[in-house]
Amino acid sequence: MYRYDEFDHAFVAARVDQFRDQVERRLTGEISEDAFKPLRLMNGVYLQLHAYMLRVAVPYGTLNARQMRKLAHIARVYDRGYGHFTTRQNIQYNWPKLSDMPAILNELAEVEMHAIQTSGNCIRNVTADHFAGAAADEVADPRPYAEILRQWSSVHPEFSFLPRKFKIAVTASERDRAAIQVHDIGLQLKKDDQGRLGFAVWIGGGQGRTPILAKKIRDFLPEADLLSFTTAIMRVYNLHGRRDNKYKARIKILVHETGVEQLSREIEAEWAHLKDGELKLPEADIAAINAYFAPPEFGSRAEGWGELAAWKKSDPGFADWVGRNVAPHRHPDYAMVTISLKPIGGIPGDATAEQMDAVARLAEEFGHDEIRVTHEQNLVLPHVALADLEPLYRALLADGLATANSGLITDIIACPGLDYCALANARSIPVAQEISNRFGDPARQAEIGDLKIKISGCINACGHHHVGHIGILGVEKKGAELYQISLGGSADENASIGQITGRGFEPDQITDAIETIVDTYLAERTGPEEAFIECYRRIGADPFKAALYNSEAAAA
Amino acid sequence: MTIVWTRDGIVENDPWMTAEGEAEAKLLALAEALEHAQDNAAFGVVLQPADDVRELAPLLDRVAIIALTFPAFSDGRAFSQATLLRDRLGYKGELRAVGNVLLDQVPLMLRTGFDSFEVDHAPTIERLTQKRLPGIDLHYQPATDTTLDGQSYSWRRTAVING
Repeated sequence: MYRYDEFDHAFVAARVDQFRDQVERRLTGEISEDAFKPLRLMNGVYLQLHAYMLRVAVPYGTLNARQMRKLAHIARVYDRGYGHFTTRQNIQYNWPKLSDMPAILNELAEVEMHAIQTSGNCIRNVTADHFAGAAADEVADPRPYAEILRQWSSVHPEFSFLPRKFKIAVTASERDRAAIQVHDIGLQLKKDDQGRLGFAVWIGGGQGRTPILAKKIRDFLPEADLLSFTTAIMRVYNLHGRRDNKYKARIKILVHETGVEQLSREIEAEWAHLKDGELKLPEADIAAINAYFAPPEFGSRAEGWGELAAWKKSDPGFADWVGRNVAPHRHPDYAMVTISLKPIGGIPGDATAEQMDAVARLAEEFGHDEIRVTHEQNLVLPHVALADLEPLYRALLADGLATANSGLITDIIACPGLDYCALANARSIPVAQEISNRFGDPARQAEIGDLKIKISGCINACGHHHVGHIGILGVEKKGAELYQISLGGSADENASIGQITGRGFEPDQITDAIETIVDTYLAERTGPEEAFIECYRRIGADPFKAALYNSEAAAA
Repeated sequence: MTIVWTRDGIVENDPWMTAEGEAEAKLLALAEALEHAQDNAAFGVVLQPADDVRELAPLLDRVAIIALTFPAFSDGRAFSQATLLRDRLGYKGELRAVGNVLLDQVPLMLRTGFDSFEVDHAPTIERLTQKRLPGIDLHYQPATDTTLDGQSYSWRRTAVING
């Protein structure tokens, strides 16, 4: 993985000093709260319902054990013993003191981490496929390009006061695990017919109150042009994105109102001036960044094949876990392991300091010292030998980290909601917990199969409800919480925006409503091989609406 | 109090001050400037964020100063306008930030080609006159300012902000 050089260390240290100075000026009143807000946000500091929140960047979701231990340490010393992994591959601390922030940032800098641009109207933490560098189906590791973008976008003088936040995601396989079509810029690393690397470029995807899928504006952008082309997009957006209404300020609205052909022409015209300039990436620099991401030495561990079969036979719990949470690695003797942060009835994405320490230890022992954070709020050990799966499973079990539910109905994404968030209209966490408890029985989950539920506590859609197979949106109506359901969303390569079923459900009805939807699916599907989303796409919303609303009408 | 600041310190008796009652020679809005282009006398222009700086291209050799407006702290369009004026149009004259100019933006403004600043925020004036800018000397991207290439990747630059 990437290692800081002297330049990076000095930069992060200077950024911490800069922020400390800003905090001091705020405390003496030299800066008004209005002027301070964008400054603190650009360093990940939010003011939430009960306390300040600090969002720490995990660039493209990659961590080592030392970094994870530091995150545990921060949770223990400066917070209440836990942290919350987010849909942007970051971690949030919910209870730090403002006066502790500079100290926390210093601690992070010790392990080459920071909170730069995890919020604010700037280019945010660049996200990537959580299986990058391990997946069998990728053309190359996308993370070096995410790292180049991370560096280039850090304290960018032209693009630090954009109309609105700006999110970039990178993937490198046809199967999109990075949700690139719901990002401001989505990049798919690919090869052209001569084997050269470049990107399909998508712009204008996003969720929030106006969910829109991205439009492809380039089928193949040579890798050398990554920064110049991104600069052209950013400049057109910075100059022309709407600033009169924050809900219409994302680039998706500019794409929609200008038209993708016209906007694409403007971007290409701007790029014509930039493409042969100083932003063109030299091959040597791309190679140097790539070298940091060289895969570990995967020694032959062929004994794992036989052992795995025997272990599965003797322990059904282990077999279930392997079936759900273990995916094929590009080396046949290895696997990619998802560590679920969705225990039955738990808070999606939360991890205690002890669990973080355990994951760090296990990554060192079994995982070549690599950990990933997924946008689905789980952790991943991307490089585990098959021969180590059983001891890894035993250790995870002991720390409550072996829930075998990856991709199942209880693997729920949920935003913090009204329990923490100043923007929320409704609670998300208790809804996720109740659904998780309702469907917690392993046999029942297995019968239902792949099903993604995503819950947001307000229209800002941090819980990605628009792209949930079942999306739940908490709204406030006449002072009470109400939950709208949408169906048919998806954030993969066949991305789609979910459609609202009809009127919302009260907190004590929402889990029953989800059960009605699930029962309808089970009754309608051609068989277990037809997943929920496929079934929905075949039969449409009507049978679900009928089940949700007609039975009530009959009862009333 | 409103002052004009450059790297050389506070400018005394600046003729282009936009603050009311202090201007001797008024800066022209874009439309006025385009009309004024018939004359040969030098003049100054003040642009709003929605103005297209490229319209000034034919006049740049006669413009004495261009002021770009920050109507609010959060409106960053002038950073791109400045970059276009310097890098695309080759404007070499004075480029002034006016409007809501606060300390923490000044390092970014310097990087994008601004070289004078009309400021009325007292704590900002104090820090500017002390030459204590809150910037970082290491940059991950080229911009229009003069920087050193450094020894590493092509996109990195260094410069001493409080030198």
